[in-house]
Amino acid sequence: MKRKIGIVLVLLAAISVVASISVVALPQEQETLKIGALVTLSGSGAAWGQGMLHAAELATDDVNANGGLDVGGKKYRVQVIPYDDKYQANEGVTVANRLVFEDRVKYIIGSVGSAVLLAIQPTTEKNKVILMTLAFTSKALGADKLFTFRPVVTTGEISQPQIDWVVKTRNIKRVGFLFPNDETGQSISSDNSAAYRKAGATPAAMESFERDRVDFVSLLTRILAAQVDAIELGGNSPTTAGLILKQARELGFSGTIIHTGGPATQEIVNVAGKQAAEGLLEHTPINPALASVKAYIERYVAKYKQPMNGFSPAFYDGTRMMFDAMRKAGSVTDSDKVRLELEKIKTFSGVLGEESWTGKARYGIDHQLNVPFYVAEVKDGQEVIRAQCTVAGCK
Amino acid sequence: MDLNALIGQAVVNGLIVGLLYLLMAVGFTLVFGVMRVVNFAHGEFYMLGAFVVYYCVTQLNLPFLFSVVITFVLAVAFGWIVEWLILKPFRHDELNGMIATIGLAMILQNLALMAFGPSPLSMPSVVQGVVHLGSMVIPSSRFYVVAFSIGVLLLLYVFLRYTRIGRALRAVVQDIEIASVQGIRASLFYPFGFGIGVGLAAVAGALMAPLFSVSPFIGAGPLLKAFIVVILGGLGSIPGAVLASLLLGMTESLGSTFLSSGTADILIFAFLIIMLVVRPGGLLARPEQ
Repeated sequence: MKRKIGIVLVLLAAISVVASISVVALPQEQETLKIGALVTLSGSGAAWGQGMLHAAELATDDVNANGGLDVGGKKYRVQVIPYDDKYQANEGVTVANRLVFEDRVKYIIGSVGSAVLLAIQPTTEKNKVILMTLAFTSKALGADKLFTFRPVVTTGEISQPQIDWVVKTRNIKRVGFLFPNDETGQSISSDNSAAYRKAGATPAAMESFERDRVDFVSLLTRILAAQVDAIELGGNSPTTAGLILKQARELGFSGTIIHTGGPATQEIVNVAGKQAAEGLLEHTPINPALASVKAYIERYVAKYKQPMNGFSPAFYDGTRMMFDAMRKAGSVTDSDKVRLELEKIKTFSGVLGEESWTGKARYGIDHQLNVPFYVAEVKDGQEVIRAQCTVAGCK
Repeated sequence: MDLNALIGQAVVNGLIVGLLYLLMAVGFTLVFGVMRVVNFAHGEFYMLGAFVVYYCVTQLNLPFLFSVVITFVLAVAFGWIVEWLILKPFRHDELNGMIATIGLAMILQNLALMAFGPSPLSMPSVVQGVVHLGSMVIPSSRFYVVAFSIGVLLLLYVFLRYTRIGRALRAVVQDIEIASVQGIRASLFYPFGFGIGVGLAAVAGALMAPLFSVSPFIGAGPLLKAFIVVILGGLGSIPGAVLASLLLGMTESLGSTFLSSGTADILIFAFLIIMLVVRPGGLLARPEQ
C-alpha cells in the first residue's frame, strides 16, 4: 500500500513538473477579443444573418492580418463567435445569455429580427454590451438604450421617400399588403401603409400570417378581390417575398409589386424565377457602381462563394467603427468608454460612402447611421438603379 | 371579382390545398396502421424527398417525373433499412417507438443541415402559366401537382385493393395475429409498410419541391398538417384521411379568403379539439379491439 501511494505521488509530481515546464516554455499566447454574432443562420432570414456574420468576419480578418487589434498598447486577436437565433425571440434570449454570461462578450453583431432584439435588449443593456443591430423596429433605438446602434437605414428612413417616388411614377391608387404577424412585419407594414396614405394612395387590403407560412394563394385571392393595382411586400424575409411574388404572378396578377424593406433581390429572383421577378421595385442600400462597393462585393464572393446580401457592407462598416472606437477609448473591456467614442465619430469613410450618426429627432438618440440609398427595378434578374435617395426624397 | 367567382376560386384553392395535404398525410396514416408507430420523422422524409428531386433535376438534369420515381424507390429502400436497423426493437412498443422517431427526425434534419446548409434552394417550375376554369384561375404548376397526387393515390388504391402484396399489407393493418396465422410474414411487412409510408412522404416532398423552396427545415409544416389530417380522419384510416384533408383544405382556404389567416387557424384547431373530445377515433375511425 505504501509503495502504491509512493508511486502515485511520484507520478503526480512528474506530471506537474512537465506541465509547468510546458506552460513556461510555450510563448505567451496573444489575448483574444471575442465578438459575438447573434444572427439568423437558418430558415428564411438566413440571407441577412449570413451577410452580417461574414461582414464581421471580413472586418476581423483585416484586423488580424495586421497582427491584431491594437488597443491601449496591447494587440488583441479578434474572434467572431456565431450563434443561430432562428429569428425567434426565445432562441435569441438563450443565445444572448450564452454570449453575455458564458462567453463574456462585450460586443455583439446582431440581431436580425426585431422580435429577437426587443427580447435580448434587457440583458444586453443591463450588462453594457454594445449591439450593432439590423432590427427595423423603431423601438430598437431610444434615449434609454445607450448600447444599441444601427448601421442600416430602415423603413422608418426609406419608406416615405421610396413610396412617394413609386406612387408618383407608377400612378398607384390602391395597395395590398401581405406581411408576417410578428414585430418586424407589423412595424414595417405600419410604417409603409402610413407612407402610402401620405403619398396619396389607399391601403385597400392588409393581410398578415404566421412567419413560417409557404402557401399564400388564399390570402392573395383575398387581396386581389380588393382590386389593388400594387402589392407591397415590405416586412417579409427574402424567401417568403419570393414565394409571394411567384404565387401572385401565378394567380395572374399583372400590377406593380414593390418591396419596401430589407434587400432581398438575389433571393427573390432565386425563388420566383427571373420572369416572375421582372419589374419588381426594390429598395437597395448599395450602388454596385461605386468602386468601394464593387471591391467589397468581389472580396465577399471570393471568400464565401455566395452572392452577397445588400446589408453586408453596412455591417462591415459598423464593425470597423466599433474597432475604431475601441482604439480611441484605449480599452476593449470598458464598453461605456467605447460607446462614448463610437457616438463621437462625426464622419466615417465606409464602403457605402461618408457615414454619420443621426436619429435624435425620431428615436431620441443619435444611434442610427445615415447613408444614401436607392430604388431599383429588377430587369432580367439584376437590379437596375432607377432613383437615388436620401431621407429627404428620391430622384 | 364578384362573390360567386370569389367563392368558386376559394373552393378550387381549397380542393387543391386539400389534395396536397392528403398526399402528405397518407404515408403517415399507413405507417401507423401497419406498425402502430407515430412517425415523427415523417416530415424529414418529406424534406429528403424534396432534396433528392432537387439534386436529380438541377445537378443531374433528369426529367422531373423520372426523378420523382427515383425518389420513391430510394425512399422505400432507405425506410426499409431504417426500420430494420433502428425501429425493430420498438415494433410492439408504441410510446418508445414514437420517441425513437423523434430522435430520428432530429438526426435526419441535422444531417441535412450539415450536408446542404441552411439556405433555402429553389427548383425551376415544372410548368409555367395558369389554367382558366371560367373566371377561376389555377396556377398550372399546382394543377400538375394535383394531377400527379391523384395519380399516386389511385396507384396506392389499386395496389392495396388488387395486388397480393397490397392485400397482405391491409391484412397486417387489420389484425397482425390473424394475418401471421394465415402465413403472412409480419417481419417482412413491418419494414415494407414503413418503407411505403415514408416513400409516400418523399414523393409528396418531391412533387411540392418546385412549388415551395427546398431547405432542411421544410419538414415541420407538412408533419403538422399530416398530424391534423390523421387525427381528424382517424389513425390508420385512409378514407378518413381523404375526408379530413379535403375538409382541412377547404376550411383553411375559405377561412383565409373570407375571414383572415389567424381566424382560419383558430377555426381549424378549435375543430380539432372538438373532434378529440367528441369523437377521439376520428371521423372514420377503425373500430378498436
